Amino acid sequence: MAIEYKKNLAVFSDFVGVEEAEALLEWFLKNPKGKINLSDCVHIHASSLQVLMAIKPIISVESKDEDLKLWLNTVLE
Amino acid sequence: MNNLLEQFLSEGRDFLQGIAEKLMQLENNPNSTPLMTELFRFVHTLKGNSGLFDFPEMTRVLHASEDLMDAVRNGRVNYSQELADQLLEAMDFVGILMDEIEVTEKIGTKHAIPAAELAKALRALLGNPESETAVIEDISPKNNAVISWADLPSLKLPESIAEKLYRYAIDGDAVFWLEYKPESDSFFKGEDPFFLMRQVRDTLWRKVVFNNVAQTLEEMDAYSCQLAFQLLTIAPEEELDDLLRYVPDETKRIEIPALAFVKPQGNEDDHPIDVEFINNALILLDVGDFDALTHAINTMLELSASELWSSSALRWVLRLIESEPDNKIAQQALLESLQTLIAPDWSEIAQTIPSTNTTTNSSTSVNSQVPDDSLLLGFHEVMNTQREILSLSPHLSGAWSEGRLKAVAATLLGCYRAVNHDYESETDAALQLALAENSPAPLLALLESSLADISKLSETPKLEQAELVAESAVQDANFGRRAEDVTAVAGRRSEDATAVTPNKTLKVDQEKVDRLMNLIGEMVVAKNALPYLANRAETVFGVRELAREIKSQYAVINRVAEEMQDTIMQVRMMPVSFIFQRFPRMVRDISRKLGKEVELVLEGESTEADKNIVEALSDPLIHIVRNSLDHGLESPEIRRTAGKNAMGKLLIRASQESDRVLIEIIDDGKGIDPDVIKNKAYEKGLIDEATLERISDQDAVNLVFAAGFSTADVISDLSGRGVGMDVVRSAVEKVNGTVGIESVVGKGTRLYLSLPLSMAVTNVIIIESDGQIFGVPMDLVVETVRVKRSQIRTIKQKQTTVLRGRIVPLLSLNDLLARNVEPLTNEDDEFATLIVRVHGEHVGILVDNFRETVDIILKPMTGILGGMSGYSGAALLGDGSVLIVLNPRELI
Repeated sequence: MAIEYKKNLAVFSDFVGVEEAEALLEWFLKNPKGKINLSDCVHIHASSLQVLMAIKPIISVESKDEDLKLWLNTVLE
Repeated sequence: MNNLLEQFLSEGRDFLQGIAEKLMQLENNPNSTPLMTELFRFVHTLKGNSGLFDFPEMTRVLHASEDLMDAVRNGRVNYSQELADQLLEAMDFVGILMDEIEVTEKIGTKHAIPAAELAKALRALLGNPESETAVIEDISPKNNAVISWADLPSLKLPESIAEKLYRYAIDGDAVFWLEYKPESDSFFKGEDPFFLMRQVRDTLWRKVVFNNVAQTLEEMDAYSCQLAFQLLTIAPEEELDDLLRYVPDETKRIEIPALAFVKPQGNEDDHPIDVEFINNALILLDVGDFDALTHAINTMLELSASELWSSSALRWVLRLIESEPDNKIAQQALLESLQTLIAPDWSEIAQTIPSTNTTTNSSTSVNSQVPDDSLLLGFHEVMNTQREILSLSPHLSGAWSEGRLKAVAATLLGCYRAVNHDYESETDAALQLALAENSPAPLLALLESSLADISKLSETPKLEQAELVAESAVQDANFGRRAEDVTAVAGRRSEDATAVTPNKTLKVDQEKVDRLMNLIGEMVVAKNALPYLANRAETVFGVRELAREIKSQYAVINRVAEEMQDTIMQVRMMPVSFIFQRFPRMVRDISRKLGKEVELVLEGESTEADKNIVEALSDPLIHIVRNSLDHGLESPEIRRTAGKNAMGKLLIRASQESDRVLIEIIDDGKGIDPDVIKNKAYEKGLIDEATLERISDQDAVNLVFAAGFSTADVISDLSGRGVGMDVVRSAVEKVNGTVGIESVVGKGTRLYLSLPLSMAVTNVIIIESDGQIFGVPMDLVVETVRVKRSQIRTIKQKQTTVLRGRIVPLLSLNDLLARNVEPLTNEDDEFATLIVRVHGEHVGILVDNFRETVDIILKPMTGILGGMSGYSGAALLGDGSVLIVLNPRELI
């Protein structure tokens, strides 16, 4: 799994594929104040991206991938 | 190349051939539903297959073709010549793509535009252009090149980024605005729009818009794409083309001119800068004192807060001075905007900016191409804004209002100029009045009256706008048809399923068959060694029993080997229809081009010959058919006056005559006039005067096969280059064939090619000369005779003899092979003479002795030996020795 769900934190790693979006949305519905850790994430599929855009969660750790960080900054500001 | 791709290409070519064939048949029988259905199935399958690979251009064209075929099949569109032409063109294009794929395994991006155009043309035939048509126009770079200011997105960029982009644009880097709105079901197509956008290099600014349709989070569908991506990039255009070639309909790309980035921004509650400063600055600008101007602006900037709108504008003025010092109009406009605090409308200013450097130059020239309607739309926009400004707070006093009035007047003047209306004096008068009354009313009145005048002109764009709206409504309606489309697709799928029948033919690589052929050749040779072995067993070792057993085993092996050889020959056999099938299309195209009416009749298409023979036939046949169409058949008018049917007839017939294939090309055209040929040949120096006098008509006609002969005075793209028929003859002779021609003036011409069925086995006679053995192909040998020394006469130092009443020149094989030895004679002092037919004449070759004839598998010489044309090849004999086979045609 590219997303590991902890108590109040979703840890993204590597490539977050298309199949994660549904589960991610459900997790946010259960944990409205859930934060995300993007440290090791390289790419997020557009489906998960729009989930993040809908929720606008707090990013606890930004991605190390500079390009992804740039994109997410414009998206989740 | 992987197997799948290989298979796709080989199948794809078959499909293309099939499609062309079906289209031809439809031409004669336009209402045939089974033909139509099959045609549709071909296109559909080909499209489906192309989808397996990364060839969007091909899929796009095929998809459009498929839609068109579907419409025709369902009777929504009628079959027509035009439609067939378009489809054939599309299939030719697909063929070109396939050729390219075969070489490079990919399709160059240069094909994207022709593909889109073809698809558009195909869809245009559908009658009701679907949404895609409209969008495709947007993606073609031609349209991108025309920058319409009205289309530019209103960018809200931070000043630092805008500055960076401006500098790139000024330096000649194309800055592209890219907008990508994926379809809502794009996730189901396996797309990742976000990933695609991240592939764009050199993105300087990016934005993602999320347009959530769901009211609450619970209702949100994560898998319905509601995103829109926007970005500004300086990536090269080809790269963007390549990257976005799958989604051209969903993307919009505009090249942004440098000035578009010059947009001051900042605190909106800003106060206009002192009028005196602005006037001063304008004067400085006018006299071109940039140093003083820069100094003044810098001082002003130090005095004001940096986040103010005016500061931002001043910074832009500095940048303009630095990078476009000659662009005074832009600088002036920017300075003037300090009075109104409204950014200058560059779309008008760009009109008047003189060419200062390449970038602005291109943008101005491009702008002059902008159609008037978009300009008028812009004009109206500006006018409306000015009206708002005037009506803002009408009773302010002092410089504030005065500056505003002046600015509005200047803007109005600029606008009028842009739409070619001279209101200079009126504007001036209105401004003076307004300043005197300290009220915007006069200017407002001028604005309204002028607007009324010019609105007559603007009616057209308004109409067009209405049309645009209507069009988009149509598009929406089309989107509603998606559900239908889905069921239609499902229907097609089921059709496919029923169409699958067990295929009993195998596709085998030709190389494998060739290898089998070689192996069986070796086997035949190996088998031939057994009789020698039996002989040795009997004579050398004296074991008769064993010799007999070997012989009986040999009989068995011989039978099996011969059958095997036969079967493999059969595998290599293919019907001549393989080359015939391209003629209907060719004849159709050429006859149309020449304005002739031709009926093509093909006979004996199922006649079979060895693959190499059939392939070798292809080029000569095309040449002959072209010649017949170009020179043979007359135009309809001439035919009518000659009392013939207006429609010419071209018959191509294949038949088998014992072990040869006979191909005839017969036309009922004007025939070949021997006198014309004779004179032409004489003119070109192919024959001398004496020959001209005594040559027979048939021989004259045969002159068309002479090298360098051409009757056409004008070289067309069809024929007349003088490399025609002699090339045909040499190509046919290369595979041991012959070619002949018969013609009757006014009635027509018959050309015939006679070719061996198979090249695999050659029958040769073995001869002896100077202690060596050689083979001579039997089909050249007329007879073998023994000539007495006394019968040989010497004419002009050439040996000759009279044989059955005709003079036959004699040549010694030893001489031909440059061996300085006299040929041997037998006890009766007779020379063994091999009479061969070379170029229609009999020649005697003196050899030492004759031996048996054998069937051999002739291997052409390779490498250095390949250049020795005196030998046609070599073969292995049963005892393992090598037999060199001579080529008398070249030798003599």
